[in-house]
Amino acid sequence: MTSMISHAQALQALRPGADAPMRADGLAVNDLLERFHPDYGAKARVSLRIGANAGAPCHPALAGLLESNALIDDLDLAGAEPLATDVLVIGGGGAGAAAAVTAAMRGARVIIATKLRIGDSNTVMAEGGIQAAVGADDSLQRHYEDTLRGGHNEGDRALIAQMVSDAPEVIRWLIDLGMAFDLAEDKALGSTLLRKKAGGTTASRILCHRDFTGLEMMRVLREAVELQRGIEQLNRCPAVELLSHDDGSCAGAILYDLERRSFVLVRARAVVLATGGSGRLHLQGFPTSNHYGATADGLVLAYRLGARMCDLDSFQYHPTGVAHPRHLAGGLISESARSAGAHLLNGLGERFVDELKPRDVVAAAILRECAEGRGIARDGQTGVFLDARALVAADPDILETRLVSLGHLAAKCGLDPRQEPFLVYPTLHYQNGGVMIDGDGATSVPGLLCAGEVSGGIHGRNRLMGNALLDIISFGRRAGTRAAESLGQRQAGRGGINHVHRWRRALAQAELPADVRAPLLYPSYGNFHLRRTAAA
Amino acid sequence: MSETVHLTIDGREIAADPTVSILQAYAQSGAELTANVGCMGQGVCGSCRCMVRKDGERQVSTLLACETRVEPGMQVSFIDYFLPAHVHHYDLKDLHDSWGMLDQIRAVFPEAEHCRHCSGCDRACPKGLPVQSGVAFSVAGDIAAAAAVFDQCVMCNLCTLACPENIRPNHLGLFVRRSVAALTLRPIDLMRRLREVASGEMSVNVTLPRVETATAAPRLAAPAQDR
Ligand SMILES: Cc1cc2nc3c(=O)[nH]c(=O)nc-3n(C[C@H](O)[C@H](O)[C@H](O)COP(=O)(O)OP(=O)(O)OC[C@H]3O[C@@H](n4cnc5c(N)ncnc54)[C@H](O)[C@@H]3O)c2cc1C
Ligand code: SF4
Ligand code: SF4
Ligand code: FES
Repeated sequence: MTSMISHAQALQALRPGADAPMRADGLAVNDLLERFHPDYGAKARVSLRIGANAGAPCHPALAGLLESNALIDDLDLAGAEPLATDVLVIGGGGAGAAAAVTAAMRGARVIIATKLRIGDSNTVMAEGGIQAAVGADDSLQRHYEDTLRGGHNEGDRALIAQMVSDAPEVIRWLIDLGMAFDLAEDKALGSTLLRKKAGGTTASRILCHRDFTGLEMMRVLREAVELQRGIEQLNRCPAVELLSHDDGSCAGAILYDLERRSFVLVRARAVVLATGGSGRLHLQGFPTSNHYGATADGLVLAYRLGARMCDLDSFQYHPTGVAHPRHLAGGLISESARSAGAHLLNGLGERFVDELKPRDVVAAAILRECAEGRGIARDGQTGVFLDARALVAADPDILETRLVSLGHLAAKCGLDPRQEPFLVYPTLHYQNGGVMIDGDGATSVPGLLCAGEVSGGIHGRNRLMGNALLDIISFGRRAGTRAAESLGQRQAGRGGINHVHRWRRALAQAELPADVRAPLLYPSYGNFHLRRTAAA
Repeated sequence: MSETVHLTIDGREIAADPTVSILQAYAQSGAELTANVGCMGQGVCGSCRCMVRKDGERQVSTLLACETRVEPGMQVSFIDYFLPAHVHHYDLKDLHDSWGMLDQIRAVFPEAEHCRHCSGCDRACPKGLPVQSGVAFSVAGDIAAAAAVFDQCVMCNLCTLACPENIRPNHLGLFVRRSVAALTLRPIDLMRRLREVASGEMSVNVTLPRVETATAAPRLAAPAQDR
């Protein structure tokens, strides 16, 4: 074990009043990432053996799930309750809600199936804000180049360009649905939007509702779904498998109704998969900031049906997860804190990185401090300090105005941010890669669309703060529009699970185990076993 | 973490570490957890609503299980999302005339005027919001004050469950908040940018930055052979 500096010692090393010095031994960005970021090490990837990405790299834990057996059999289909609709949306976060509302507004009959309840998602947890280049000193081009550069030039240029160009209209759409944004001045007309700076951006571009932007967004979207004619909600009905036609196209999905403990078979002209991310896989033992349902289900379902994916070995570790107290470990301290001027300090009381560098760089820098013995240990937890003392001293109201959530969190951690810094450590935050899509969210499987965190290609290998909330609304709306266009199309056949049969043969040929079953649906500590509880 | 705390959750006797939340204690006890959970600690999704009676106390309070630490002798039961028989339907697009706002509130939420001031909603709110006053502000037309009351509402629906008049205070609050944004939020910088994008005056050139000038990405380790 690497040595650490004790919490008490580290507190003593804090220099009262004076600005903390910056360490002089900063590494070049690529060096830092290659040596300390969890994505770049030897344990970070294996080659997939079967499926559309065979031969391509993937995180080993995720590979185990992608190359797994289905949860269901033909027998389960026989007893399932049949339903039919125009559009089936799977997942009730921001992307799913935006897709459902958009498709229904265009006259489609929509079913939205969710695992928990609509809104219980990563979206509702977002704090910092959403990017849109609205400032006079800003432009779509700058937003585009920042996003591309932030993702190490690996993002799809056309998708990025489309998304940043959608951004102003996305904000308008949200306002028309009744979402509030903070203004720079307090006047009814003629005011401009309050804009914050994010790590890795060249202009202030984060629009927000205080520091609980996702809550404001999700409660508005949830109400919009609930009040929109033409949408039926199936809560507590996770998708356990997709349905396919004989030509391999998507025909709907099989849900498991947790209340009735039985299967539901939903045939649909188009399926929008919006199941979000995978933080609850706790890759490489990291804690996570994600909600309870983030178990990579959508990736598993889409991959089995043949969808192509990208960047499955690329994840975002948010620099500032709570490290102490232990029962809050992994919980997020929003980038808003650093954006407002909070500093990161090691056990010697030194700064060691420009806090507003892209997230992967800042996270790697923290991991480096901990690996090189300058981390701080407290009750068996390790991390570095996030120091907001000067910030609060300069603006005593800030915890009631701009950093409300930070104040709440400090109370839960049992510390006073005026007196004491937070102990933080990187937390598994975002799935950079995912299902490859075109500008409408269409995947390589006909009839299957994707939107939101489940999709990939936009953020390259690192996402900027505020670009996820933009992504989910921009692509959620587009996928909803495209799905509604399938309205007039004739529905051929009933749909079945021939793709599962083909998949099982492929598993056997590759000598992969047949007893690993996915999607997971819930983390292991949820103690849920479909086979134990299914009525069948 | 020396002593262990004993409590009852949904009829289960549970022994837990004193530092954990009710929700964590429940999951760690081996119970199946597929409902009444979402953000799991942030306290923003409202799904872990529960009734708690503390040891030696007669009063039951409604709290969020992910934000409340276990205490010895607690009795806890989770409460599902409450959906009343009557839900208030409206279409925000009908609200284009802000002069009609008062009438709209009355038309969509007619029960709000019948508030009995029983404070049931105030007691129910796990976020400690002054819900009742939010209802009164809405009825009186103090729109800004009403919107402010519900600013931190997590839509757990406990006030709706508590209200004997089916006012659905949180949905009334959200209606007011949505109306304010949809009718009055007109940021001038956004308007200007929308115009520039619509006219084609501003767009993205995807050939920039040129690939050659872009900096090289960091190198990844080769895929591992074994898993
Ligand atoms: C703590 C936190 C803070 C963040 N802050 C920001 C921020 O400030 N700015 C920003 O841009 N981004 C932020 N992000 C990222 C952003 O919130 C997410 O990437 C985005 O909201 C994802 O939206 P989504 O709709 O794709 O997925 P989600 O919102 O996660 O929704 C997915 C839904 O699908 C459901 N689901 C999963 N599997 C199934 C299944 N098998 N069947 C049915 N339903 C299923 C889930 O339960 C969930 O309800 C933050 C993320 C977190 C966790
Ligand atoms: S106002 Fe009502 S819905 Fe909102 S947090 Fe309080 S009790 Fe829950
Ligand atoms: S519970 Fe209903 S009736 Fe009682 S004070 Fe609240 S809004 Fe009024
Ligand atoms: S789990 Fe979301 S509020 Fe408790």
